[in-house]
Amino acid sequence: MSVLSAPRASIAGLVLTTLLFAACSGDKNTPVSEGTKNQILHIGNGTEPADLDPHVVTGVPEHKLIMAFFEGLVMPHPKTLAPEPGMAESWSVSRDQKTYTFKIRKNGKWSNGDSYNANDVLYSWKRCLSPALGSEYAYMLFSVKNAEQYNKGELKDFAEVGVKALDDYTLQVTLANPTPYFLSLLSHYSTWPVHKATIEKFGKVDERGTPWTRAGNLVGNGPFILKKWEMNKIIVAERNPNYWDAEKVRLKEIHFYPVDNLATEERMFRSGQIHITSTVPPDKIEVYAKENPELIRINPYLGTYYYRINVTKKPFDDARVRRAFAMSVDRKTLVEKVSKGGELPSFSFVPADTAGYTPQHSIPYDIEGAKKLLADAGFPEGKGLPKAELLYNTSEGHQKIAQALQQMWKVNLGVEVALVNQDWKVYLASQKAMDYFMARAGWIGDYADPTTFMDMFVTGGGNNQTGWSNKEYDRLIRQAAETGSQEARYAIFQKAEKILLEEAPIIPLYTYTNKALISPDVKGWEKNILDNHPYKYVHLSSEGEAGTLSKK
Amino acid sequence: MSAATETVKSAPGSDELSRAQSGMDVEQGTSLWTDAWIRLKRNRMALAGGIFLVSLTLMALVTPWIAPYTYEGQDLQLGASAPSAAHWLGTDTLGRDLLTRIMYGSRISLMVGFLATAVALLIGVLYGTISGFLGGRADMLMMRIVDTLYALPFIIFVILLMVIFGRNLLLLFMAIGAVEWPTMARIVRGQVLNLRRQEFVEAAIAMGLSNRKIILRHLIPNVLGPIIVYTTLTIPSVMLLEAFLSFLGLGVQPPMSSWGLLISAGAESMEEYPWLLIFPGLVLSLTLFSLNFLGDGLRDALDPKASKD
Amino acid sequence: MLKFIIKRFAAAIPVLLVVTTLTFFLVRIAPGGPFDTEKAVSAEVMQALKRRYNLDQPVYVQYFDYMKNAIQGDLGPSFKYPGRTVTEMVKTGLPVTFELGVYAMIWALLIGVTAGVVASLRPNTAQDYVPMTMSMIGICLPSVLLGPLLVLVFGLWFEWLPVSGWDSWQHKILPSLTLGSGYAAYIARLSRGGMLEILSQDFIRTARAKGLSNTAVVFKHAMRGGLGPVISFIGPAIAGLLSGSFVTETVFQIQGIGRFYVQAAFNRDYTMILGTTVLFSVMIVFFNLLSDIMAVWANPRLKFETSKGAR
Repeated sequence: MSVLSAPRASIAGLVLTTLLFAACSGDKNTPVSEGTKNQILHIGNGTEPADLDPHVVTGVPEHKLIMAFFEGLVMPHPKTLAPEPGMAESWSVSRDQKTYTFKIRKNGKWSNGDSYNANDVLYSWKRCLSPALGSEYAYMLFSVKNAEQYNKGELKDFAEVGVKALDDYTLQVTLANPTPYFLSLLSHYSTWPVHKATIEKFGKVDERGTPWTRAGNLVGNGPFILKKWEMNKIIVAERNPNYWDAEKVRLKEIHFYPVDNLATEERMFRSGQIHITSTVPPDKIEVYAKENPELIRINPYLGTYYYRINVTKKPFDDARVRRAFAMSVDRKTLVEKVSKGGELPSFSFVPADTAGYTPQHSIPYDIEGAKKLLADAGFPEGKGLPKAELLYNTSEGHQKIAQALQQMWKVNLGVEVALVNQDWKVYLASQKAMDYFMARAGWIGDYADPTTFMDMFVTGGGNNQTGWSNKEYDRLIRQAAETGSQEARYAIFQKAEKILLEEAPIIPLYTYTNKALISPDVKGWEKNILDNHPYKYVHLSSEGEAGTLSKK
Repeated sequence: MSAATETVKSAPGSDELSRAQSGMDVEQGTSLWTDAWIRLKRNRMALAGGIFLVSLTLMALVTPWIAPYTYEGQDLQLGASAPSAAHWLGTDTLGRDLLTRIMYGSRISLMVGFLATAVALLIGVLYGTISGFLGGRADMLMMRIVDTLYALPFIIFVILLMVIFGRNLLLLFMAIGAVEWPTMARIVRGQVLNLRRQEFVEAAIAMGLSNRKIILRHLIPNVLGPIIVYTTLTIPSVMLLEAFLSFLGLGVQPPMSSWGLLISAGAESMEEYPWLLIFPGLVLSLTLFSLNFLGDGLRDALDPKASKD
Repeated sequence: MLKFIIKRFAAAIPVLLVVTTLTFFLVRIAPGGPFDTEKAVSAEVMQALKRRYNLDQPVYVQYFDYMKNAIQGDLGPSFKYPGRTVTEMVKTGLPVTFELGVYAMIWALLIGVTAGVVASLRPNTAQDYVPMTMSMIGICLPSVLLGPLLVLVFGLWFEWLPVSGWDSWQHKILPSLTLGSGYAAYIARLSRGGMLEILSQDFIRTARAKGLSNTAVVFKHAMRGGLGPVISFIGPAIAGLLSGSFVTETVFQIQGIGRFYVQAAFNRDYTMILGTTVLFSVMIVFFNLLSDIMAVWANPRLKFETSKGAR
């Protein structure tokens, strides 16, 4: 029938359009291959960064960006994390470990060409600690004498805080207590300096959210400068010729893509749009490990995945019940078959080999023992145990782990646990209000020292949120903070961790890993437990072995 | 009258006669329904769709007695395995039998699909008809309320429901009904506005029939076509919306599942474990096709003129 | 007509007011504040943050302050992105999403109307079943599924089109197809139903009897009226396309406003939630009005009258 001609024509049109796609392909030069040629690194960087102000931001994507634009007094070596010269060309520590003296380099410059000196650090620390700015990481400086008091507004005069510029190029820091990990605190971006003139050009010193961090405005002291920032699209960093160590920097540009969808990021990697991803979708890990092991990196990460237990709620007010739950989890199967990201099963809280500290005590996987504990607590075979809930924040991964544990407890102990998920903010509020039975949690260490894990569970600690309180534990943590000798501190932590595991206000499950897909072209991307990759050591080359530091 | 009725004001009818006739047909009741049934039976695709839906519902009802495994039983060592003699449709990443999970999922999905759609249908059709029939200020007000509902941020609404009432299937129906009915109301209203000024309706008004009777006997039967079409499309999209709400924590609680949840889980790993996507997707597609063929059949069967051509 | 439009715009003001007010208070009732993080924050820091964003004021003061600024076009600073204002983010995101929505609608209409009209010409034959089945696949394949699937096929296997981004026209094909396909199925169904209804009516038979060609009957007479239900659907559909572009924007890594709209709710970025919600309500009001106006245009009898007069 003639009626058909017109619709048929439009169908034909569709087919034609489809064929057109084919015509315009054939371009095999991907951004990655082009980037390798021109020393332009393309990075998948997780979510869109909130800001680039080192004293304001808190997230991992922001950290990766700030690493390019700023630099602290000392910087961690990519392999060993040992402090290396940054702004400071050298430093010395007093005998009592309470006074640090930094020599600021004299040739140091901001990206706009201004020279920097010790007063810039002073200005920046004052900014970071000022109560009005509300820096969430201000506590990274709390080991400095009087810093905490100043941040809380108890002390008005910054001159009383333990940091002084002895002259333009000498900075003296006085600590409240000997803090063996002080230099690793300084590798955190909240202690890094900002450019006074730029800050004050766009707002007050303690005002957050001024446009000083925009492309064109931002002035930093790191190896790169901010060239372009388009929200949810791209951030371009360009080599900073004024950087003191500019000779060493081999990358010309870094392109950061904010990709919050894991699957999208993986597809971008596969199609040659990015050199490195921020993570790997769980189901893809096995596939890559089997078929392209050279493209995937899985490294231990300084963080523990665990469950909090609300010790103020029945039946978890009884340590035996908590211990029984903790002992009846098959962590090995959990990491091998459920999370599948090369994680290490955790039988204790602090990750193994945290700055030389490895926990000696552990929670056994002992179903019979767990059953006995449960019976001792008055619930033989789980009978009579009030139905508990397991809270987790909405996410595929957490849900899967929760389902596996729910089933383990059912099979091993005969107890029923209901699963509850809430969106992130509700989940945080529920934990804060202690409105939960068990809750999924994770803790990533702020710096490489057991303190960042162990001081969480002191009585009333802001990150405790389990209602658990133990005087002996509190005492040990206080004692460790005042002890200068590394060996003695670690011995104290071992004792404290033993208490923590016996009382079991938490159920450690596994040590996180960092997963990334990485093109073999990327050299100098070292593995370390902080996932810290200073860009000045990175370069691109399509020859040679992947990832290792080139011998120059 | 005021603004909204202007949409039809300038349209003096000319095919009213035929409209009026179809209106009369509906009014005559029984013979129409019998005719419709005969016509429906002749439409083989529609019949096949109907049979598929009935058997699916029956299967869902008896699932607890015939399912080969339990829906929550895991075999972590096995993990995701392709279809085999032991597991006809394979297993998911926690080693649970997919066939069993689809069977249990159908209970949730069919229930949500039909009940939530029924809620949306009931509210949407009544609201739309009344709004279109009353016209004028009332119509204006009612349609602006619909606009308001469209505009409210849905996720915040879901989060609040969850916090206030906890996890509850009934709430899920409410939330879904609340999202779906305004579109239905708009479509129905548009049709009713067209019908309202036609002779058979005006005749009914002149005959002194009550508003209620006019709406139920004359207006709704005449907008059945678009309603049926839209309904058959709403059911599958409601099933998928359920998955989103369940994921946010409002609906089905794991380890229980639904088609929507199985499909979105399958989508995550479609390259690695394609069967986890294909089978639940297939069941949903078959249901959708059946619904549509049945819906078309019904629409044609209820429209006396369609078969004359 | 003009009076009608003016009246509708006047009626939009209370709608916007109610939406804004309800949203303003609803987001504050939802548990969890914009500055809650996993790590505990000291009371002093929290206080400083609240003071910075005016959240330490009584709620009614916050409300009137917000409304006063909003009327002047200042939607406030984003809570999640400290250096950004909501107005600025809307300005960068909206054009992208709008473009995406328009292309998606074009796809949806192109596929949907074609399939629907073709199917309606010979109901219950292969010519009906094949296009309808094809178009219905769009509903079974929600964007989360269709997007990655299209990327796999066209982006990774054939390497014809880019897998993500929004720059050249090649970038824009897959996302708009993904977003539009779900609506294509609706449009196909609605237009088939509408066409069948019209084609069975007397005036079409009259037109045929007058010796008009089949093509002319379908295109000149039947389509206008037959697409009535489609037209009622387009208003809410466009609004839905824009506010529902989140998944597509995420899958294809597009810098649109749909991502802000959804993420703001999860971040409790109060000002951003309000800003995007107000924006979407304006669009809903506008597109519903547009679809009502088009309904007048498409009235079948109006068309029949004029064409009869012409002969």
